[in-house]
Amino acid sequence: MGALAHYLEAEGIPTTQISLIREHTEIIRPPRALWVPFELGRPLGIPGDAAFQGRVLRAALELLESQEGPVLEDFPEDAPQGKAGLEETAQAWACPVSFSAAPEKAGDEGELLPALRREIMELRPWYDLSLERRKRTSVAYFPPEAASQFFGSVLLGEAHHIPENLASPAVALRLAAQDLKAFYFESVTARPGFATPGASEFNRWFWQQTAAGRLLKSVRRICADSQDQEMRDAAVRFLIPLDQA
Amino acid sequence: MALLETFPEPMRSHLAKLPCPSFETHPWVQGPALSKRRVALISTAGLHRRKNRPFEGMTGEYRVIPKECEANDLIMTHVSTNFDRTGFQQDWNVVFPLDRLRELAEEGIIGSVADYHYSFMGAADPWEMEPWARNLAGVLKGGRVDAALLVPV
Repeated sequence: MGALAHYLEAEGIPTTQISLIREHTEIIRPPRALWVPFELGRPLGIPGDAAFQGRVLRAALELLESQEGPVLEDFPEDAPQGKAGLEETAQAWACPVSFSAAPEKAGDEGELLPALRREIMELRPWYDLSLERRKRTSVAYFPPEAASQFFGSVLLGEAHHIPENLASPAVALRLAAQDLKAFYFESVTARPGFATPGASEFNRWFWQQTAAGRLLKSVRRICADSQDQEMRDAAVRFLIPLDQA
Repeated sequence: MALLETFPEPMRSHLAKLPCPSFETHPWVQGPALSKRRVALISTAGLHRRKNRPFEGMTGEYRVIPKECEANDLIMTHVSTNFDRTGFQQDWNVVFPLDRLRELAEEGIIGSVADYHYSFMGAADPWEMEPWARNLAGVLKGGRVDAALLVPV
């Protein structure tokens, strides 16, 4: 991010930026940067809090009026949840979904696929409701049933069917996993009466307590031995977060 | 406040090892008062419109996001799994604050919102992005942009 600012400014475009990792910005020394103490993935701090986001945005833009630089300032407010040091702040989150078949009882890959399909069926009404209310979804290329079918073909060593605009099975592997996770998040947060989980709480639940999480770990294991190097790289590097691998 | 040392392992080591270029020069361009500036957003979250092709790997190119883009038309295909996506799933402004930028323009805090905004895939090597960034500067000038707000993820 800081390097982009350097290149743009060198070509005559005034830049300012948000910095999430202060140590990186101290090395790169872009022209103007506002360091924020927020979680990676949330540079404006708090979803749904327009006033807070506005303060961050304004503080970053006001650096454009500095007379000399490089400038690196600290944003003075913390986000009420989701600090960068995730583990210390994560509280136990009671997931509103209790699946009819506990995924831990699925013993092997053959049982994980039906368990995944059951989870999708149980979550689907809440996803549909979420889409209706929010008029927005982050699911991009793989509706959950298509993701399930794709991962099934990977696990069983069958031919893959991928959307036309995706370049390769490796790209499909990564995007199908992202879409499946987005489907789970949007579904569980549509249920009434439950607080929206923090990122680490949701991650812990998804990767450790759902058939989807367990199945993706199996997919990673199988693809790590693939003859297709791109597939191998995608599985090892871009499927499972470092803290859940 | 949280710094690199507060990240749990293995994220701390992963982040500490990411390549960070250092530069011998420090370019600096002055501009008009903030209330006169035309501002473009430049994200590194791997954002693009649904109908665009996804980011396919660690390449340095950018995608164009017109100012009329709405929340449900913007998706994220960044390669990394090591940052939170649930914030973006709840509210696109936490990553791509286009609504907030419009509000600042309406309040007269900035001059105007640019017609086009841009996104790179931030896990790409900075040197891969350099030719694209230098090309983008010319595009921004063509759009009369005199302030670029860079937003990481």
